[in-house]
Amino acid sequence: MTLTIVKNATCTFCGCVCDDIELHADEIRIVETKRACSLGESWFKNHTAEHLYPDALIDGHPATVDDAVEAAADYLLNANMPLVYGMSNITCEAQREAVALAELIGGVVDSHTSL
Amino acid sequence: MTCTLGEVKNRADFMIYWGGNPAECHPRHFTKYSLTQKGKFTPNGRKDRTMVLVDIRETPSAKAADVFLQIRPGKDFELIGILRALIKNQRVNEAMVAETGLPLSKLEELVAMMKAARFGVIFFGMGLSMTRGKHMNSAGVLMLAAEMNAFTKFVAMPMRGHGNVTGADVVMRYTTGYPFGVNLCRGYPRFNPGEFSTVDLLVRGDNDACLVLGADPGATMPQPAIDHLARIPTITLDPKVTHTSRLSRVHITTAATGISAPGTAYRMDEIPLPLRPALKSPYPTDEEVVRRIREAVARRPAWLPERNGEMVV
Repeated sequence: MTLTIVKNATCTFCGCVCDDIELHADEIRIVETKRACSLGESWFKNHTAEHLYPDALIDGHPATVDDAVEAAADYLLNANMPLVYGMSNITCEAQREAVALAELIGGVVDSHTSL
Repeated sequence: MTCTLGEVKNRADFMIYWGGNPAECHPRHFTKYSLTQKGKFTPNGRKDRTMVLVDIRETPSAKAADVFLQIRPGKDFELIGILRALIKNQRVNEAMVAETGLPLSKLEELVAMMKAARFGVIFFGMGLSMTRGKHMNSAGVLMLAAEMNAFTKFVAMPMRGHGNVTGADVVMRYTTGYPFGVNLCRGYPRFNPGEFSTVDLLVRGDNDACLVLGADPGATMPQPAIDHLARIPTITLDPKVTHTSRLSRVHITTAATGISAPGTAYRMDEIPLPLRPALKSPYPTDEEVVRRIREAVARRPAWLPERNGEMVV
């Protein structure tokens, strides 16, 4: 099997955000993490491209992403004081979207920093 | 005042790690950024640097330190105050020094080392910023670093934990003007930690819905906060089904940041770095899902009457 090699990959496990990792991956999983520390190695190897979890869950039952998105929009818009929380392990692009959503629903937006 | 890790690598000949255990929590911090790297003004790497560790117990990081100062738990703020007095040659109360668990002679040695440095840096971790005194401890360390500049170049930098938590600060700063705990209920941003910070909101039961993304509060928060998340409609976006997902009404599986989702992440010194994913996920990215939720909300009548063209009376 041929392996894809990604040079200077970036690890987002801890705040060091090391950007000199060399990843060797097949279609499904990362098999080699050069220069990564033990935390980075388990971070990269623990996430695969397998379909291990349902696309979405509503009240604990498998659902489509479309239905889940609509349900989420209803809950957030109908709330008087919704909270958008977390944002530590998502990209800046996703964080911008989250702030825009928080503004639209008139909510509070907060991250791990406040803990 | 702070700097980048590149400046630390090239210039810092003295560093204090306070309330953190980088050997286990940021394993490459010593070797990639700070302690052992050879830099422009530190050509001999580790030999050109002095490292002091301040912590309440002897962690594996102590092995890397030249000096280990074991402080009594919860006495960080007192120690910062004493150091700020000592650098200005002011008298200190010996009973208060004894309370920190460290002898005055050790502290005087530390102050002499700090003043002798060409470029000093204090890295402070959650052992400082999340224990008794909290943000006052962080403020104290920043003041200490600022005041040290009367003698030599000195900076302070927080040791941020999660991957892109620095990015969250930066993004919220440039979009709302505040770094965290921003309330947009009135249609404009308001900032008040303690009032609009998550744990306080949830423990008081102020929120009536919650969107959790890139976090697992169900595993880490105080129990009353978790109980409230279970009571209200919670929506979780995560690459795995987490503790929070199990108490949520809605869970959406997303691609893992940096592994199968592209984008940008900020390093702890606020340097933005591009992500280079190695895998293709069967799930959408967080960015895509949040955008779709926002678009779904935008299709519905707005919660603010004025945005629907009605007058606010």
